[in-house]
Amino acid sequence: MSDNDLHTEIKEMMIDELMLEESADEISDGTPIFGPEGHGLDSVDALQLVVGIEKRFGLKLSDSETARGVLRSVDTIAEAIAAHRAP
Amino acid sequence: MTETTPESRTALITGGNSALAVAIAESLVGDQATSWRIWLGTRSNRERAEGFAAVHSGYVTLVDLDVTNGAAWEAAVSRILETDGSLDALINNAGFHRDSLLATMTDDDWKAVIDSNLSGAFLGCRAVIPGMMNQRYGRIVNIASLSALLAPKGQTNYAAAKAGLLAMSQSLAKETARAGITVNCVCPGYIDTPALDSIDPEQRKALAREIPMRRFGKPAEVASAVRFLACPDASYITGSVLKIDGGIL
Repeated sequence: MSDNDLHTEIKEMMIDELMLEESADEISDGTPIFGPEGHGLDSVDALQLVVGIEKRFGLKLSDSETARGVLRSVDTIAEAIAAHRAP
Repeated sequence: MTETTPESRTALITGGNSALAVAIAESLVGDQATSWRIWLGTRSNRERAEGFAAVHSGYVTLVDLDVTNGAAWEAAVSRILETDGSLDALINNAGFHRDSLLATMTDDDWKAVIDSNLSGAFLGCRAVIPGMMNQRYGRIVNIASLSALLAPKGQTNYAAAKAGLLAMSQSLAKETARAGITVNCVCPGYIDTPALDSIDPEQRKALAREIPMRRFGKPAEVASAVRFLACPDASYITGSVLKIDGGIL
């Protein structure tokens, strides 16, 4: 799977799990997901994302500190999934 | 006329040996719209639950469950998910009371009642929520008590636990709503179960006179409300507290 495909699949997962109104094209790769510049998401959404990442990509984020680091942006999620998949 | 096949759902009822648990299971079995697989969580006493499961073998199973033990919850939920593939409804029914005035209440009586009625429900909700979030569907029904609202003397531990259960449920309902998981409480009043056998007949008559319906409730009357809150049709009800008390409050 190319980088672009993975980023797109992550965005589609976000739209699906978080019921976002934006399309995948409107979600940028490097922008913070949470916080004032983000999508108006909260801690409940973060939990939903953790569940979605495990369900869709098999990557389990075992503690909140790890999750916080991974869930910063689409780029950081993609990096974590790629590392998880690396042989 | 085309017959609709009932949809399949799995429910776990804790305190599975109690008269109310069996009444809830009976009500689920009778549900025409849903085909329920029922797990009765039991600890040491199992006779009533075993008798019920024997009559409904094939879709009622007992599972070991000490609700105050997190590892026991993980094991029970894993077993249910491995067997049935999903766990759609959790009915937190387990809990007991040890009444006394607070001034003479032991540490153990306080802790045991809080643990069984409140902490047990916390552990259960935590154990089932990941799976329910995964399937974007869940029903959690917590059996509280009118004591949570009336707070009678002699029940500081039980009233605190059940009132805590109401608050926990309402808070949790807000956390899980987006994932399609509803969390509701029922508050039964005086219900005719073996738990009230110790009340002498004169005291029962006096209590019944205080109830606008002039009688105790039946377990089936609580069970039907629980069944509704556990079923797919109750999809827009969450964070609610339903009194089942014959009009006392």
